[in-house]
Amino acid sequence: MKRSWWYRFTFLIIIGLISAMMIIPTAMNFTAESNFPVKSKITLGLDLQGGLYMVLGIDFNKVYEDEVKSYARKVAYILNDQGIKSEIGSLDKTIVTDPTHSIVIGDPANIEKAKEEIKKFFPSIIRMTVENGGTLFYGLTKVQKTTIEEQALTKSIEVIRNRIDEFGVTEPEIVSQGSNRIVIQLPGVKDIERAKSLIGKTAKLEFKMVNDQVSLASMNSWVTKAKESGIEYKTGMRFSAYLRTLNDFLTKEKLLPKDHEMAFEKTVSKATNELTQMIPYVVEAGTKLSGDQLQDARVQIDQQKNEPYVSLEFKASGAKIFEELTGENVGRRMAVILDGNVYSAPSIREKIGGGRAQITLGAGGFNKMMKEARDLALVLRAGALPVQLNFEEQRTVGPSLGADSIKKARYASLIGAGLVFLFILIYYKISGAIAMVTLILNIVFVLACLVGFEATLTLPGIAGIALTIGMAVDANIIIYERIREEVRKGLSFYKAVETGFAHAFWTIIDANITTALAGLCLLNFGTGPIRGFAVTLLIGIVSTVYSSYFVGKLLFEFYMNKTEGQDLSI
Amino acid sequence: MMQIIKKDINIKFSRHYVVTAIVSLILVIGSLVGLFTKMDYGVDFRGGAEIQVKFQNDIKLPLLRKVLKEEGFQVQAQQIGEPGNHEFLLKVAANEENLNAVTEKVSGVLNKDFKSDGIEIRKVDIVGPKAGAQLRLSGFQAMLWALVAIMVYIGLRFDFKYSPGAIVALFHDVSIILGIFAFTGTEFTLQTVAALLAVIGYSVNDTVIVYDRVREQEQKFSHLSLSEQIDNAINETLSRTILTSGTTLFISVTMFLFGGLAIKDFFFAISLGVLVGTYSSIYVAAPVTLATDKLLRWWSGEANEGQGAKA
Repeated sequence: MKRSWWYRFTFLIIIGLISAMMIIPTAMNFTAESNFPVKSKITLGLDLQGGLYMVLGIDFNKVYEDEVKSYARKVAYILNDQGIKSEIGSLDKTIVTDPTHSIVIGDPANIEKAKEEIKKFFPSIIRMTVENGGTLFYGLTKVQKTTIEEQALTKSIEVIRNRIDEFGVTEPEIVSQGSNRIVIQLPGVKDIERAKSLIGKTAKLEFKMVNDQVSLASMNSWVTKAKESGIEYKTGMRFSAYLRTLNDFLTKEKLLPKDHEMAFEKTVSKATNELTQMIPYVVEAGTKLSGDQLQDARVQIDQQKNEPYVSLEFKASGAKIFEELTGENVGRRMAVILDGNVYSAPSIREKIGGGRAQITLGAGGFNKMMKEARDLALVLRAGALPVQLNFEEQRTVGPSLGADSIKKARYASLIGAGLVFLFILIYYKISGAIAMVTLILNIVFVLACLVGFEATLTLPGIAGIALTIGMAVDANIIIYERIREEVRKGLSFYKAVETGFAHAFWTIIDANITTALAGLCLLNFGTGPIRGFAVTLLIGIVSTVYSSYFVGKLLFEFYMNKTEGQDLSI
Repeated sequence: MMQIIKKDINIKFSRHYVVTAIVSLILVIGSLVGLFTKMDYGVDFRGGAEIQVKFQNDIKLPLLRKVLKEEGFQVQAQQIGEPGNHEFLLKVAANEENLNAVTEKVSGVLNKDFKSDGIEIRKVDIVGPKAGAQLRLSGFQAMLWALVAIMVYIGLRFDFKYSPGAIVALFHDVSIILGIFAFTGTEFTLQTVAALLAVIGYSVNDTVIVYDRVREQEQKFSHLSLSEQIDNAINETLSRTILTSGTTLFISVTMFLFGGLAIKDFFFAISLGVLVGTYSSIYVAAPVTLATDKLLRWWSGEANEGQGAKA
């Protein structure tokens, strides 16, 4: 044998050994404690081991609205401070992707000056849109919007990761997709409902002062009036969406006192666990103290009532605000609001120092309340999501389905591969045996690559491997048919093999590159399981070229050497 | 030597072109009609929710339907898999606002009502309309990009006169598979997109192998017409074409038959793709390439004349 043959042979042996090492732990189902040097196994996708896959979307239009609104107060404050008398106008949502807000300038003569001041104080945040008499309209700049989007996305991912870490899932995957989506994969998670509620909760905690001047009767009449205009809460609807439209409506109708908003306390019947009543509140808009001032949140049990509650501990700065706030408002009520729902609204009897507060829970049995308290404490500790996330896609797979799928797909792949092997053995005889060896090596390489790259094997991925076998035979067939042709032309066996391989090379490359192009497009499009298909298809292509062509050639050279070019069974 | 195709086979494929063109045209048009009128889009693209549920006890479809109806759900139920498996697929129709809530409620009620029947909720897919639209868009984009990439690759490796043939063949294959999906009521899902891309890869593979031979013929037998060269190339590669299609079909058909419900449709598309793809390499890509060649010659002839007139 030529020296170059031995080099290539050694290379094959090394690659083969490494690959075998890679797949032995998976094949033998070793545990992590085994002494085998390779620990990693093939990672099964969600569709095979069960778990939760979610795509959450962020509706930035609402975020812009809030941001635009939040600047109205600041702008009016600054203008008044600079001696330009002005008032907060209203939100204009005509262009949903670019909401604007108006500021009413007392003296229209001051308008130019006001514009200058705004530009000076909020450069690159606010841009002026139109003006109408004494009313100025402003919107957000593109730079500001991008900043908001990036921050919201990064912060959301961070918060979700914190929550999931506390929840305890092995190998969660939380990544952004585009500028407004988050993809979460929780393989093997058991309590799917709980995971979902933990991730979805905004957990925005706010403390707001209650305005007790407004009577219950008038609040109820507002709600009725809104209902007459078609603003009504229906089950299944998102409560925050209802609250938003209601408050917009009440502001527009000028029913609410200035800078106030409505909020509700939901009461749940202890017996039936159903929503029985919504107690309305009018609270001061603008948050005095919020969840980002929290140091810690823990579950405690009220010994007298035997009910769990969540005790809150503020950071030093938060404790100071809390102390001032309670000191200034003795005798009034302070609402503890979580995600827009009033949890409780205790009266402030005296100034509260020490930075502690508590959230009491609704109702339900002890166990249910305990669970609720635990999850609430968890999300408060992990921090609030900066934006409301919408569930756009949710896929949950039970573990038994995946096990079934693997069993069936493996069985079918074995039958399919067996048929192919049988066929090529009959059709190509000894050359067929060589092809069979290259095909088996091919599968070993593909599996080893999956372990090595820590790629995930999904059900479509198994399909990809099966398909690779089918298509890998193609490379062998191209070569063998070519060799047969050359033999028919009267070339010596030795020469025919050489020419056959040489001629087939570019054909095989061309054919595989075009398939790879399709695979790459799929990888790019890929969501979850489908990506797995693209990955195995691509790995399969590389491995096919190596095993069917190069290893095949190596084995043929050996075969020709053995028979000294006198015999060729093809 | 065992042979399926005789070594001196010489079929004049170009003689069939008129008939096959008519057949292909009818199939493609029919398929497109089916695609736009009858296609059953899966939950991935349509948006909505699906619950896959399995019972240990012998629960029959009418009973399940009755319970769902009595509980006041608007849910479509159908049996899937083998009858002895007591496995069902429930399709929840709901709007964006309460999709989640309704799906959870259905699961909750089923878990309660069939507790003693060994109920197991095996899979839940909830796709909001927004996500559905997004998936539709990216699926379409992936296919489009694959076509563009393949067209450019063939143009660079061979000659741009070969590109239209390959692309028309791919368009032909994809639309016929979709047509068959539409008429057999097979759902169009994300997996179908993956299968279609695999078919695109496979079918162009077939075409490229013929083109490769045509190029060889062009160099060796330049005195022959392109039509004869193509016929020779197809004949020379015919045994390879049939053998490869055969082995791939071994795999895809066994996977279709025994691979389980979850990948059945995937391999249905692949099996169809192998058949249609083999046909289209011979009867679509080749004639379109011939036509392109004629068109190019005619056009460059015109251009030359134009130049002559100018001079």
